[in-house]
Amino acid sequence: MQEKNRGLALFTLLVFLFLLGPLIIISFTSFEPGTVLKFPPEGFSWRWYENIFKVEMFMTTFKTSMFVSLIGNLLALILGIPAAYALSRFQFKGKAALNAIFISPVLIPGIVMGFAMLKYVIVVYDLPIYAGLLVGHTVVMLPFIIRVVASSLSNFDFAVEEAALSLGAGRLGTFFKVVLPNIRSGIIAAILIAFLESFNNVDISVFMTGPGVSTLPIQMLTYVENNFDPTIAAISVLLMIVTAILMFIIERLMGLSAFTKR
Amino acid sequence: MKKKGLYLLLLPGVLFLTLFMIIPIVMTIASTFFHEGSFTVEGYLKFLTDPYFIKILLTTLQVSLVTTIVCILLGFPAAYYISKLGARKKGILLALAIFPLLTSSVVRSFSWMIILGKKGLLNSSLISIGLIEKPLEILYTPTAMMIGLIHLFLPLIIITLVGVMENIDPDLIKAAESLGASKFTAFRKVIVPLSVPGLIIGSILVFVGSLTAYTTPALLGGKQRVISTFLYQNAITLNDWYMASVIATIMIVITFVVIFLMNKLATKLNPKG
Amino acid sequence: MALLTLENVSVAYDNQYILQNFNLNIEKGQLISLLGPSGCGKTTTLRLIAGFLEAKDGKFLFDGKDYTRVPVNRRNFGFVFQSYALFPHLSVFDNVAFGLRLRKVNETEVKKRVMDILDVVSLNGFEKRHPKELSGGQRQRVAIARALVIQPDLLLFDEPLSNLDANLRINMRVEIRRIQQELGITTVYVSHDQEECFSISDQVAIMNKGVIEQLDDPATIFKYPKTEFIARFIGFTNFITFAERTNQNGEISLRVGDHAFLAANHPGTANPSGKKCALRPDDLMVTTEETQDQAMNRLRGSVKVSTFLGRSYQYVVETDLGDFTVNQEMETPYRSGQKVNLLFPKDKMVLVD
Repeated sequence: MQEKNRGLALFTLLVFLFLLGPLIIISFTSFEPGTVLKFPPEGFSWRWYENIFKVEMFMTTFKTSMFVSLIGNLLALILGIPAAYALSRFQFKGKAALNAIFISPVLIPGIVMGFAMLKYVIVVYDLPIYAGLLVGHTVVMLPFIIRVVASSLSNFDFAVEEAALSLGAGRLGTFFKVVLPNIRSGIIAAILIAFLESFNNVDISVFMTGPGVSTLPIQMLTYVENNFDPTIAAISVLLMIVTAILMFIIERLMGLSAFTKR
Repeated sequence: MKKKGLYLLLLPGVLFLTLFMIIPIVMTIASTFFHEGSFTVEGYLKFLTDPYFIKILLTTLQVSLVTTIVCILLGFPAAYYISKLGARKKGILLALAIFPLLTSSVVRSFSWMIILGKKGLLNSSLISIGLIEKPLEILYTPTAMMIGLIHLFLPLIIITLVGVMENIDPDLIKAAESLGASKFTAFRKVIVPLSVPGLIIGSILVFVGSLTAYTTPALLGGKQRVISTFLYQNAITLNDWYMASVIATIMIVITFVVIFLMNKLATKLNPKG
Repeated sequence: MALLTLENVSVAYDNQYILQNFNLNIEKGQLISLLGPSGCGKTTTLRLIAGFLEAKDGKFLFDGKDYTRVPVNRRNFGFVFQSYALFPHLSVFDNVAFGLRLRKVNETEVKKRVMDILDVVSLNGFEKRHPKELSGGQRQRVAIARALVIQPDLLLFDEPLSNLDANLRINMRVEIRRIQQELGITTVYVSHDQEECFSISDQVAIMNKGVIEQLDDPATIFKYPKTEFIARFIGFTNFITFAERTNQNGEISLRVGDHAFLAANHPGTANPSGKKCALRPDDLMVTTEETQDQAMNRLRGSVKVSTFLGRSYQYVVETDLGDFTVNQEMETPYRSGQKVNLLFPKDKMVLVD
């Protein structure tokens, strides 16, 4: 058994090398002083990090991405928290169907959703691209908000809510004074997870580009098609740092189960 | 709780999704049956009779299938190893598996461009140790796509399987061994069947995910189209929204058929009945 | 006049009635328990009184006012939950102060009243702690304090002790009774634990399938159950169903097949419509002798099983009228298969519906 365990450990090590190796390599190449990506890099330079801030499109698309992910997040919270509460708190007819509807944005292929939205939200409903982008990202975030908030509510003893009612609080007051404070960490985790999903989204955003409107991942895609300098590697490193920080916060708030429960 | 209050909580979300997701999707599907004012299945006929389209569909299915199988082969043993570890080590490895999952797919696919390119890390190392003389053409082939997709989805199957395996009572292995099974037989007869539900869920996620992934094939596939990049090409480059809608409908149908069949299989194979 | 009246109340989920035409009166200052197996409707009744549920039909009167449609947060009733339902994000002090602050009591007064009530439940010095830093018993006290501090018109308990261990349960129920009597507060107490209800209540209502089968003081119920259900619930294990019942020389004559029994005609035991007789295992006797005692009914049988209970032996005796369980203290027990006489004291024959 000892023998077999060692073999299994080695195998697992190789699997993780495969998973993380490319991300490590990309990090090294971002410090390349030359104009062509190389591994190992031929020196050390911050040149390409500086370049990010010189290419105006990176800055504008970053701003668009932040705007869409943050405002979309807010919209998804406003729509999602009441729904998650209703779905966790009450038993009613058609609950399973509603659950399915709220989770469906993760089941439908993203690229299909992006195309359908382009066709209807932008063309038929005639919304501006910016608004279409916002709506699309809200749809993407909604299931994550509902899932994480509902999972946080599933640990909440609703008798606590009844206790507040019996002490004289109204329905709304009870929700804000008693329910919300107790699922606060769940809500923050939901915000961060949904933010990552939205910020990294390509499938919807790729259809919602227009004159002067695009998100950072789409800009990165376009840039890679024409350039092979280490700027993208430098952006990647920054994105990975942000991802790691957010992931750490989420882990502190809800544990790793926030990611593993699907 | 009055009915009215319940509706008030659910209505905004339902309306939003109906307006911005359900109607667009349903209308897109419906539009494939009406072309220039009359009922038609012309688009589907065109799709199913054109060898180019069929080749794209088959390539997509093939790439997704190989990706799924390799993910299972790599993910199952790794997940088993992780599930046996103590809480701390398990947490670290799970975190390391989750991290790439949260990282932008553009970043992840781009990292493989550095490795697999003509002058990439792989070719330069192979040449420098003298294994090959001319660089291998891997980037912009289905193989590159597959590598990228395996990298994309392997964490998913590991996480799902660890979730199932850590809930298997370790005494079951001991019980099997006490009845005369070797470690390996015990693994095969106890762990494998009990992991089937997780394996099915993981496989659905990987297979459907590979089938519909866009970024990775777009960056690593080069001219080789899969169904998702083909949809994009029809919609944006060729501006043929009718064909794009047909492809979108086919993708939805395939996705739901796969989920349906795998769920059937899961109920059939579930050892707990 | 009763403080609380439920009048022909019905409660239904999905067209399935939990309570139908239900009636209950509670006098001011009393502690009344609702006792019964799970699903009997006791919790539904309590939640209806609290206002968490709405009646389909019927009326709920409190202190002469119609409370049927008064929402829970306007009722001023204190509710103590099975899970305690303390606010996890608030300290003990803030938990107890919650209701007072909603009533816009000024902070000096809040402080005084919270500290006073923490004194009543012996929790001085705990006000800064959070619920998760307290033991089960302490949480229970906080829950009681939180319900009491608003000076409720009615105090409601839903299985408050079921999450505590046995010793603590006994201490806490004494505590609950003490506080209730000290403050003279009308209380409705729900539990499935018989001993708990009987020990602390002025009145016990035993419920079955949405109906109160008997409402009496604990001692009366214990001695004089009115129905077979109640009798079984409180520990009567032996039953004889008779075919005929007649009055004879001030006693009641009962017959089934060839067997004739006599029962005392006592207003407690002789339920006028009852043809079924209930007996506790402790009240029966087993003997091998032929006695002619006029106070006894006799039945022949044989010992089927004999088990040792510590202080006494328990026998299962097989007879023409079925098996009977008897507890009896003795030096040397009867053997299985031994022929015996079962003795049924006339005054222990309780006639039930």
